Amino acid sequence: MDSDTDYAFPALVAARLLLASAPLPDALKYDQQLSSPLTSYSRLREGIYLFQHGVDPYSGGAFRHSPLLLSLFSTVLPLTPYTSPLLWTAADAVAAWALVRIWRLRTGAKKTSRDRQIAALYLLNPYIFLPSLALSTSSIENMLCLLALMFACRGRTSASLLSLATLLQLSLPSILLLAPVLLLNITRPVSRLALPQPMDAPLKRVIPLIVEFLGYSALLTFASTLVCGNWSWVEKTWGASLTLPDLTPNPGLWWYFFTEMFDHFRPFFLMVFSVHLLIYVAPLCIKFQHDMLYAAFLLIGVLAVFKPYPTLSDPGLFLSMFSIFPEIYPYLRHPIVTALIHLHASLLLPLFNSLWLRQGTGNANFFYASTLVFGMGNGAALLDAIWAGLRIAIGELKEGYEVAQE
Amino acid sequence: MIVLSRLIFLVLVCVACLVKAQYEPVTDFFGRQGSSHTNNWAVLVCSSRYWFNYRHMANALGMYRTVKRLGIPDSNIILMLADDAACNPRNKFPGCVYSSSAKTLDLYGDNIEVDYRGYEVTVENFLRVLTGRVEPSVPRSKRLLTDDRSNIFIYMTGHGGNEFLKFQDSEEISAFDIADAVAQMWEKKRYNELFFMIDTCQANTMYSKFYSPNVLATGSSVIHENSYSHENDRDIGVAVIDSYTHYVLEYMEGINKTSQATMQDLFDTYDPDKINSHPGVRSDLFPRSLRHTLVTDFFGGVAQAEVLPSVYAAPFSNISGATAAEADPEVEGEGITELEAVGVLDSQPFIAALARAPESALGAPLARNTRTWATSGIVLLLVGWIASRK
Repeated sequence: MDSDTDYAFPALVAARLLLASAPLPDALKYDQQLSSPLTSYSRLREGIYLFQHGVDPYSGGAFRHSPLLLSLFSTVLPLTPYTSPLLWTAADAVAAWALVRIWRLRTGAKKTSRDRQIAALYLLNPYIFLPSLALSTSSIENMLCLLALMFACRGRTSASLLSLATLLQLSLPSILLLAPVLLLNITRPVSRLALPQPMDAPLKRVIPLIVEFLGYSALLTFASTLVCGNWSWVEKTWGASLTLPDLTPNPGLWWYFFTEMFDHFRPFFLMVFSVHLLIYVAPLCIKFQHDMLYAAFLLIGVLAVFKPYPTLSDPGLFLSMFSIFPEIYPYLRHPIVTALIHLHASLLLPLFNSLWLRQGTGNANFFYASTLVFGMGNGAALLDAIWAGLRIAIGELKEGYEVAQE
Repeated sequence: MIVLSRLIFLVLVCVACLVKAQYEPVTDFFGRQGSSHTNNWAVLVCSSRYWFNYRHMANALGMYRTVKRLGIPDSNIILMLADDAACNPRNKFPGCVYSSSAKTLDLYGDNIEVDYRGYEVTVENFLRVLTGRVEPSVPRSKRLLTDDRSNIFIYMTGHGGNEFLKFQDSEEISAFDIADAVAQMWEKKRYNELFFMIDTCQANTMYSKFYSPNVLATGSSVIHENSYSHENDRDIGVAVIDSYTHYVLEYMEGINKTSQATMQDLFDTYDPDKINSHPGVRSDLFPRSLRHTLVTDFFGGVAQAEVLPSVYAAPFSNISGATAAEADPEVEGEGITELEAVGVLDSQPFIAALARAPESALGAPLARNTRTWATSGIVLLLVGWIASRK
C-alpha cells in the first residue's frame, strides 16, 4: 500500500471516520442528490427488515437494491448505526487506494509525490464523501468500479472481471464499462495518449475473458436468485434502470423528462435513452484504443451525465479520476468555465430542491433547471476530456499552425 | 304438515342461534366500553360576526383545539366561523386568537382548517351540513360524512334567545329547525349518538325541542337568563371567552385520550356561581347512563383496538385444534401458552385463518436463512478463490 513514512492516507481515512460519526449524516440520509431510489440506505434497511420478517422485499416498490446486498447485509455485515459508517468509510478508503494504485501502475512508479493528492482528491471530494456520509450504496459501486479498473491495470483479469460482474449486479448501466475493462485487461495502462497507435494486443484474447465474465455474472445471478427464491428481483433491480418506474427527483436528466411523458411514448423514449448510453461504447473504445484506461474514464463520464438514476457519486468519480491524467491538463480548453458551472450547479441543486420540496415556494422546474446546469457542467467536463485526450496527440503547436477538425 | 312447519321453525331458530353466535363476539367487541360508535365527528359553529364578538370565535376555536387534541382529525371536523378574528385589522396580535388575557395559548395556531368561513356560515348551510343535503359541488371537506356508527358533537355559540340563535346578525335559526334537522339525521341513519352543546343567552331553550333518540344536550343558561363572558383583555380590547365555555374547556384540559372521565363528571363540574348562569342537561333521549358515557365518546376520536398475540408465537401444532375451534367462536384459545389472549376477543379464529394463508413467498425462516448464508458464502468463496489465484 503506502510506505510507513506516509501518514497522509491514514490521516485522510481518519478524518473521514470522524466526519461520519458527526450528527450531520442524519440529515443527509434522505437527500435526493446523495441517494437515488436504487441506492438509498433507508430503502436498504427496509428491504432487509422485510426480508427478515418473511415478506418478499421485491413485492413492493421500495426496495431496489441487488439481492447480493440483501444477503450480505443481513448475514455477514449487519447494518447498525456504528458499523455502517465504518463500512462505507472502508469502501471509500479501498476506492481511494485503488485509484492511487491505478496512478502508480499508469506511471510505472512504485511511489510518487502525487499519491497523497490523488487520495485526497478522492476522499475529500464533496461529491464523493457526501453520498458516503449519507450511506448511499453508490459509494460501494464506485469502489467496485475502481477495483475493476485497478485489477485490469495490474493484469489480474479474474479479479477485475469479478469486480465488474459484482458491479453489474448492483447497477445495470455499468455494462458500459465491460468493453473498456476487457480491453484494458489485454493492454497496458501506461499512458499512451500522446502516441496513438492501433491496439497491439490481439482481440482474440478477449474471448476467454468474455466467457469468464459471463460465468461470473451467471454465478452471481444464480446466487441472487437463491436468496430470493424467485426471479422477481430482476424486474425490480435491473428493470428499474430500463423502465424507470420510480420518478423520485435526482440530479440526473431522466426523471423530469419522464414525469411529463405521455404513456404512449414511454417505451419508445425508454429505448432511446437506454440505447443512447450504449452508442458511446464503440466509438470511444475505438478512438482511444491506444489508452483503454482513458476510454474507461470517458465512459464513466458518460455514465455520470446520462445514467438513469445517478447520485452525486457518479460525477464525483469522474471528476476525481481527472487527477490520474495530468498529461491532459495543458490541453483542456475551458477548465475554469467547467469548474464554475460545477460550483454554480452544486450550490443550486440543494437550494432548488429545498425551495421546491421543503419550503414550497418553488416548483419542480427550478430543480430541473439546476439539474440541467449540472448536466451541462458534467457534459462540459466530458467534452473537454475527450478533446484534450485527442489533442494531446497533436502536441505542441508551431508558430502559424492551428488545430482544425476535419 | 305441522311437523314440517315445526322442523322449519327449528331450523330457523338454529340458524338464528348460529348467526347470533357469530354476531355475538362482534357486538361484544364494539359494545365493550358501552359505546357502539366507530368514528367521531364534530360540528363547531360560531354564528356571530364583528370584532366585538371575538369571544364567540374564541369559544369555537377553543372547542376545535380540544377535539383535535383528543383525536378527532380535521377531516372529521366541520368548523364554521362567521368572521375572521385572527386576521381582523383591529387585532393587535395578528394571526392569533387568545381565550385568556394571559395569552398563553394561541388557539388559531398554524395548523387550522376552517371549513365554512365568513358569509358561508348561514342557517341554510348549517342545516344542509347536518342533513347531508348539499350541492354536488360542495367539496368533501365541507360535508358531514357520518354514518350510523358516528358519534357527533355539535357545538354552537353566538347570540341567542328563547328558542332561537342569531346567525350573522341577519337571520336566525330556531330550536324547531335544529330538532327537525336532527330528526332527519336519525331517519337517514347519520348518527349513532349526538351530543349538543350550546353557549348563548337562554341556551337551554335551544335543546328543548329535540325529539329524536340518542341525543344528549347541554346548554349554558336557562330561559330568561343571560350567559356572560368570562374575561376581558385590555390589549385586545374585547371579551375573549365566555364563562360557560371557559369552565368547560378548563375541565377538558384535564382530559386526555385515555381518560375514563364520564359525561356525568363533566356535568358535575357545572357551578352556577362561577359561571354566572344555570347550565342545564337534557338526557331523556339518551339511552345510556351518563355515568357510563365517556367524555371521549363525544369529544375525542378514540378508536377501539384489540391486541392479538403474534402469529408466529403460536405453536403450529395447534392448527388442527384451531380449525375445529373456528366454527365455534366461543371457545377460548387454549393452545396459546406463551402469550395471554388480551381482552375477551378470541384470537384463535384469526390465527387459524392466518395459518391457513399461503406460505410466505420467501419460504420458512429457516430455509430463508440457509439460502441467505449460502449466497453470502458463494460470494465470499468466489472472492477468496480469485484472491488466492495468481
